Amino acid sequence: MIPDDASLLATVRELFAVADPMPADLTERIRFMFALRQLNAEVARLVRVDEVRQGARGTEESRTITFDSDSLTIMIRIDSGAGESVRVDGWLAPPQSRRVEMRMTDASLDVMADGSGRFVFHDVPRGTTRVIVHPPDGSPADATGDGKSGPAVAVITPALILLSIAVS
Amino acid sequence: MTMTDEGVLPVAEPSEDQHRARMARMVNEARSGHAEAFNGLVTEFTPMLWQVARATGLGRADAEDVVQTAWLNLLSHLDTIHTPAALTAWLVTTTKREAWRVRKAGHRQTPEDPEVLILIPDHADGSEERVILADEHQQLRKAFLTLEPRCRELLRIVAFVPRPDYSEMAIRLGMARGSVGPTRGRCLEKLRAALGEGGGEK
Repeated sequence: MIPDDASLLATVRELFAVADPMPADLTERIRFMFALRQLNAEVARLVRVDEVRQGARGTEESRTITFDSDSLTIMIRIDSGAGESVRVDGWLAPPQSRRVEMRMTDASLDVMADGSGRFVFHDVPRGTTRVIVHPPDGSPADATGDGKSGPAVAVITPALILLSIAVS
Repeated sequence: MTMTDEGVLPVAEPSEDQHRARMARMVNEARSGHAEAFNGLVTEFTPMLWQVARATGLGRADAEDVVQTAWLNLLSHLDTIHTPAALTAWLVTTTKREAWRVRKAGHRQTPEDPEVLILIPDHADGSEERVILADEHQQLRKAFLTLEPRCRELLRIVAFVPRPDYSEMAIRLGMARGSVGPTRGRCLEKLRAALGEGGGEK
């Protein structure tokens, strides 16, 4: 039987899907990138990661990560216990009250930083996440996407991977 | 831009028309800023762009970067794109250009052999269905490898184009300038002939 064009191409497709499969999460990451882009945000640079410290009982670890953008410095401390989630403490400099979001690929958490720029997420699921600091109230991110940022824009960190800590 | 077919018009099933209409709607909605429509396009076209990038010999990590860059670039060009065919053409061309730019930057490792089919493992496990599928794949793989490189590249990409009838124009735009690129029809004909010779009884 002579295969028609469509079935021949379908077989070629199968062949390459096996030989050279696209990474499973590629489309998800592109959608994620687009969602972030809609916020018209500044992307903060990772500037410093401190040493991992052993907790008192050897089951906890914490690390402090500092991000810098033109308008803000974001410092976060991640405390990992043996549980399913991690605690994240953060500070904004200069100190200011802003809405802070942890954006996972399929969920997000919201808290407010207080007037001294401090915020806490008590239970952040392990996995890939980003921190988004939203513009102050009443100045929504520029939705026109023309790249001309207003006085205050959202700030986004690069993706963080909150890993499980191996507990023996 | 007009879309003329060149004797390779596929059989139009009702579902194809519906699919085409849906794609056209997604392009329009994405242009007016609907995130959901844009996400739909990402789902439809990313598998094709992955093959486009990999067919240039980029490693997997670089190919991922290139595909993401193409989508990012699209955001600022969407207002110039009005049809799925134009979108296909734009995405293929941009991905190729970006892939070659990354290759030329040269600070990456030596390019991989884009001919991944040589590396495809033989399926040697159990079920009859698997064996038959594997056998079909093996025959096609052998036939495919007898084609000239440009036909291999073209068919590899065309196979992943969401709408087969858009591929002709899209791929020709993605081909090297100043050359008359191979056409889908001609390459498929060669593949069919090679299958006939190699397959023996089939």
